[in-house]
Amino acid sequence: MIINFFYTIVREFFSVRVSILLSVIILFIIALILTVAAPLILGWVDRKFAARMQSRYGPMYVGKFGLLQNVADFIKLLGKDVLSNAYVDGLAFNIAPLLSSAFAVAMISIIPLGSASLEIINLPYNLLFIYIFMALSPLLVMLGGWGENNKFALLGAFRGTAQMITYELSVLVVFMSIAFVSGSFDISAIVLSQSMVWNAVYFPVLFLVFIIGSLAVIERAPFDMPESSQELQAGWRIEYSGLRYGLLIVGDYVKLLVISMLAVYLFLGGWNGPLLPPLAWFWIKTAIVILVLMSFRWSLNRPRIDQLLDIGWKWLLPLGVLNLVAVMVLWA
Amino acid sequence: MDLERFRERFGDKVKIDKNILTLADKKDLIRVVKFVSKYFDVLYMLIVVHRPPKFELNYIFSRYQDQEIIQIKVEISDKENIASISNIFKSAEWEEREAYDMFGIVFRDHPDLRRILLPEDWPGHPMRKDFVVTEEIKHWTGLDLKF
Amino acid sequence: MGEIELNIGPVHPATHGVLRLKARVEKDTVLGGDVEIGYLHRAMEKIAEQRLFNSFFPNVDKLEYVSALNWEILYASVLEKALGIDIPPRAKYIRVILAEIQRIMSHLIFIGAFGQDLGNITVFTWALRERELLMDIVEKISGGRLAPMYLRVGGTEYDLPEGFDSMILPVLDRLEEKVNKDYKAVTYENSLFKMRTKGVGVLTRDTVKKYGITGPNMRASGIERDLRRSEPYFVYDSLDFDIPVEDAGDSYARFMVRIREIQESIKILRQAVRALPKGNYINKQPWMFKIPPTEAFVRQECPRGEGAMFLVTDGGMKAYRLKIRSPSFYTVQAMPEIIKGARVADLFTIIASLDPVMGEVDR
Repeated sequence: MIINFFYTIVREFFSVRVSILLSVIILFIIALILTVAAPLILGWVDRKFAARMQSRYGPMYVGKFGLLQNVADFIKLLGKDVLSNAYVDGLAFNIAPLLSSAFAVAMISIIPLGSASLEIINLPYNLLFIYIFMALSPLLVMLGGWGENNKFALLGAFRGTAQMITYELSVLVVFMSIAFVSGSFDISAIVLSQSMVWNAVYFPVLFLVFIIGSLAVIERAPFDMPESSQELQAGWRIEYSGLRYGLLIVGDYVKLLVISMLAVYLFLGGWNGPLLPPLAWFWIKTAIVILVLMSFRWSLNRPRIDQLLDIGWKWLLPLGVLNLVAVMVLWA
Repeated sequence: MDLERFRERFGDKVKIDKNILTLADKKDLIRVVKFVSKYFDVLYMLIVVHRPPKFELNYIFSRYQDQEIIQIKVEISDKENIASISNIFKSAEWEEREAYDMFGIVFRDHPDLRRILLPEDWPGHPMRKDFVVTEEIKHWTGLDLKF
Repeated sequence: MGEIELNIGPVHPATHGVLRLKARVEKDTVLGGDVEIGYLHRAMEKIAEQRLFNSFFPNVDKLEYVSALNWEILYASVLEKALGIDIPPRAKYIRVILAEIQRIMSHLIFIGAFGQDLGNITVFTWALRERELLMDIVEKISGGRLAPMYLRVGGTEYDLPEGFDSMILPVLDRLEEKVNKDYKAVTYENSLFKMRTKGVGVLTRDTVKKYGITGPNMRASGIERDLRRSEPYFVYDSLDFDIPVEDAGDSYARFMVRIREIQESIKILRQAVRALPKGNYINKQPWMFKIPPTEAFVRQECPRGEGAMFLVTDGGMKAYRLKIRSPSFYTVQAMPEIIKGARVADLFTIIASLDPVMGEVDR
């Protein structure tokens, strides 16, 4: 893993404790850069892709091909007046975006970034830990919705929490099935177990459940009811502006990247493939999955919140559980 | 539409000319409109014409199964009020509110007679022929603001 | 939690214009509400009494700003009926062509706004892209995109440009292809869309007859009535088209009626362009003319229902009283009854499917 690489370099100059400290700092900086780069690049892809779908051009003027547009927007967000209504609960209101980006940094640090041993920190249970960081989002939504001290924001937060909890169960069932089949919670081992056949060939239903469930967990359209910008005017995020809003967006895009990477690792064979180096295969597959997930946002309309919860409880969860039971029976 | 049945029913209280019925007295309005509601579905338009010192109200009724319309004319004076037909035809509610708003005609027994297009505290009734743009109205519309 | 009053205020991205809806909501159900209009009142009827007849055409454009020519045609017709003059056959065909082009444009805006209210922004840009093609044609004919002041008493101001049929027929082909394929996939054949609109906001026949609602909203509740078929004006009796009627009365039916109307309008346009006669395009009247004291009443099928105008003249050069009947006025009057019992999230679906335009409600 990357931290080992830096540790061996730094150890030549310093003592053990200092080199551990220095490697952690360097790795933290690298993780921060990656976390901030993800929304910048993914945001550009999102905007250009959506624009071409809608017969328009997208960002064109800031930087070549509009690549620096999101950088300019981020700088604009930094410069905004720090407004909040006078009755916000200080701790809850401010900690929600901070935690959101902190969890994003944490997820980037433990997920492999393209091939075996190319993660920042190696954990033998990294699938579980990624799940934990994603599963803490309902807590953040409740913190944010409560802290804003706004009746309609609280209603939006209730809806968001209900949606996330429903779909997290289905995603958990998917993770457990895949871990059971591959024999470990370590993503590198899961990818290794797919070197013959991809999991998506054996478990197409689980793949579908994962795609729908994970889109609903990260609250991305078409499942963005709690934040529906046409009806409820930004739901539980209504009082967030400026840098706080920017940090929430960072969390959003990093989560999108993480679930695309997970879809490739768990179902589409990770970095296995002939001819090209593993890193190239992985990023090609991830790019295709990201584009497909992005196109859902721009081409479909939202279901109602009660219809969404219906689908989660009546269809996805039973299907996932059935699959899990079938897997356990067949493999035993 | 054959308006003979109106002539039979109401005799000389109405004057018939093609499909326009002119009422001699505004007190017969409710009875005539109740009779009309047997044959027509909905109040299509209510047109108020101000020929000082009288208002001329034209009620146009229409129905869904064919193309027939009937027009009922009533004349009232500037200062009188007239019965509301919104208990018989529900679509008259907003039309009568607009007539009140623009001309100042008070409809008795209307469920909710208040201004509809103009704000509640606007002075005057603009569509009358004797409406003059006073200083108060210029102030309301911002015509006298100097920037 | 009890009953709260939800104010969907005049400034809201999802109401079609400046409409204020004060809904009383308990938990997730709407118990009833009040509608407030008048935020766009521009005193059109008073202005009509102070302008010469021909000088009022620009104001009529701004009434229903998404399909301006329909109201211009209505105003020109009421003036011609009061004067008692006829228009040449070429002018009749031109008016039919323009009316149908504007009807398609109005329904395209409806499709875009409806999709956008449900969360699908792409449909809005697609609908506007198709509307641009038609707006280009209207600009080539009249010089104005959104407010073409093209009609005059007795006909139109200019003739159609040369090569008109080669301009419009490819546009109609492209429009038909888009409506039948692209829009189908993201709207009326899409199960997310159907989930959101079927059974929502049912408008019964009794409510329609009580409030005097006309147009596509009425046809979606099962009443088959269209002024172009039952009281044909201009040359509609020699053109062959159907009247789309649905029975369910919900938002999905209202959407489907308008999609089918676009297809029927394309049919009408193709026939009218082929049958366009040569000859005079205007029965020229002097710019300032007097109309003897009379009353004239004309009604035509506008994209949102039956529009009508009533003109009272007194022998002068200006109207004595012009009353405009707009179909959306009656639809908005019925709104408090239609939203009873709906969920809060469906409120916007219902408002979007009724398609009010505040320009003509408030005049």
